[in-house]
Amino acid sequence: MRAQFRTRIRLVLAFIVLVTVFIIIRLYFVQIVDGQEYAQKADRQFSSGGSGLFDRGSIYFTRKDGTLISAATIQTGFLVAINPQILQNTESAYSAINAIASSSISHDAFLIAAAKKSQIYIEVAHHLSDSDGQALSALRIPGIQVLREQWRYYPGSVLASQSIGIVSYGFGDVLAGQTGLEASYDGVLSRSGDSLYKNFFTELFSNVGNLLVSPKDAREGDIVTTIEPEVQTRLESDIAKVNEKYVSKESGGIIMDPATGAIIAIANFPSYDSNVLQFVDPTVLGNPLVEHVHEFGSIMKPITMTSALDAGVITPETTYNDTGCITVNNATICNWDLKPRGVIPMKQVIVQSLNTGAAWIATQLGQDKFREYFTKIFGQKTGIDIKNESSALLGNLSTTQQVNFDNMSFGQGISVTPIQMIRALGAIANGGVMVEPHLVSTVRLNSGIERSVDWNEKIPVFSPTAVRETTEMMTAVVDEKLEGGKAIIPTMSVAAKTGTAQLTDGHGGYYKDRFFHSFVGFFPSYNPKFIILLYTNDPHGVQYASETLDSTFLDLVHFLIDYYAVPPDRGVTTASTGSG
Amino acid sequence: MHNFHFQIQYSPTAICSGIIAVLVITYIGLIAVIMSYATLTIEFSQSVRNDESAVAALEGQYLSMISQITNTNYAEDEYAVPIAKIFVSAKSTTALR
Repeated sequence: MRAQFRTRIRLVLAFIVLVTVFIIIRLYFVQIVDGQEYAQKADRQFSSGGSGLFDRGSIYFTRKDGTLISAATIQTGFLVAINPQILQNTESAYSAINAIASSSISHDAFLIAAAKKSQIYIEVAHHLSDSDGQALSALRIPGIQVLREQWRYYPGSVLASQSIGIVSYGFGDVLAGQTGLEASYDGVLSRSGDSLYKNFFTELFSNVGNLLVSPKDAREGDIVTTIEPEVQTRLESDIAKVNEKYVSKESGGIIMDPATGAIIAIANFPSYDSNVLQFVDPTVLGNPLVEHVHEFGSIMKPITMTSALDAGVITPETTYNDTGCITVNNATICNWDLKPRGVIPMKQVIVQSLNTGAAWIATQLGQDKFREYFTKIFGQKTGIDIKNESSALLGNLSTTQQVNFDNMSFGQGISVTPIQMIRALGAIANGGVMVEPHLVSTVRLNSGIERSVDWNEKIPVFSPTAVRETTEMMTAVVDEKLEGGKAIIPTMSVAAKTGTAQLTDGHGGYYKDRFFHSFVGFFPSYNPKFIILLYTNDPHGVQYASETLDSTFLDLVHFLIDYYAVPPDRGVTTASTGSG
Repeated sequence: MHNFHFQIQYSPTAICSGIIAVLVITYIGLIAVIMSYATLTIEFSQSVRNDESAVAALEGQYLSMISQITNTNYAEDEYAVPIAKIFVSAKSTTALR
């Protein structure tokens, strides 16, 4: 009796063990060996699929009050796929799809897709709205699958598109950031394929540590930019108007906080709509303000002036005899109007934009000192958080011919990127210290931690005294010269400088009738909140930057004063206060 | 006086069967809970995504309106250009401004 009982118990135990082993083996095959296949199968059976959906962190603009507005985010909707092997009535299926997603696929393309009877899955429509997807799904047409999809969406469309960048397929079948911030911060923005289908079996035995601290959450997140959407819109609008008016090859602009290097707006024309990339010219996908180098012309004069003041070889009271034209190394350098001014002080070199004066200052500074200052200012990349930043072309600094240094003193024969130029001129606005220009202020990690990006590298290049003296000269440009003195703002000091450079002809010379116009300015002059750099390349029908860019510059100055309520720094009448 | 004494016959087979039954029911219950949890998680996650999409659409409208306002040509809308611009000296303001 007892032996029989033992046998029974053993049989029951053996059965339980066998069933357990069978279940474990089955689970292993279902979840690990064939897990991927089952997940895909599940996705194709239901309209609410979830495995393999594209996901990515957001990029935000920051309004002046600190509100975040999405610059790049994820949009959800549906895609339509057909199974040609099951699809029976092709015409009625097309009519049903076309009635809901009219612009998705042409009739002929649909018929060709439906005729591919060897295939079981062909996508025919994308980006259907939630309601459209649900409506089509409810029709339950055999052979039509309505699947959930997510895609990258840029609410601002063209807004800062060249800086925000794009996401597309690079190498392989993974969507990744290719340009702009999308590429620079791809590690933060990309998501490591966390499927909605959890592999419970493997979760039981692995990644236990992740339950406490997830390395993914400490790496992945969203990024917050310093770009202000309304200022960006204004700058883009103004740049586009200049480009259209003068039929320029391209135009651009940057508005930056000179004290921190935070870029408030950065724009170039032509640009593109990030949501519609099918017909975009690939050459405009990059960011010209970071990648292209230009000879900026006379906006280089304040750099030359400040270098010489800092070196102590001149003072604002120093005078020189302006003869209108000079000959150096058998080359002739002339003022823009060829006219001599006689004996004049340094201030007039900036106010009247005199090439001979800048060349005279370069001679006083000497080649070694000139080389030292310009290498320190332009010799390295700015480190801006956009990929493919170009280096300046400083070959002439290595020569010993004085004419090359004279040319560089007024911005010819030296090519730098717009971002390098605004950083260099920003030093004049920032007490002689160069800052790191940047677009991203904060990374918001999925773990909930907000990490401020460190942009604290500061490079002192000029003394505060030297930059103040140059600032006084640049302020006189607006108060006395710009628009014949009418541009003066009685309650706000504004420092500015125009620049007109001849374009290179590609054969070692310069065009006589084709120009590059640039304009730089900052305000309030002695405690600047904003520095603005504008340029337009090869404008038609005009010769000087004061004709093309001064109204745009002044429009931006007045806009920024109003928008940020910048308090006046001069011309304020002190009202007597009393109790009443 | 009677001494009440419950005497239940526990056979090992019955005990094992009982345990198995409890385990099976627990297992099925756990599966049900996990499936419900997974379904709710998916639904919640999708609902968050849908809301984010709706917010993104609104942000798109907002940015589009800013662009429209910025690019409005007031002259075309028959607003007159000011004859002259006069800057008025600002008065000193209090800290409450």
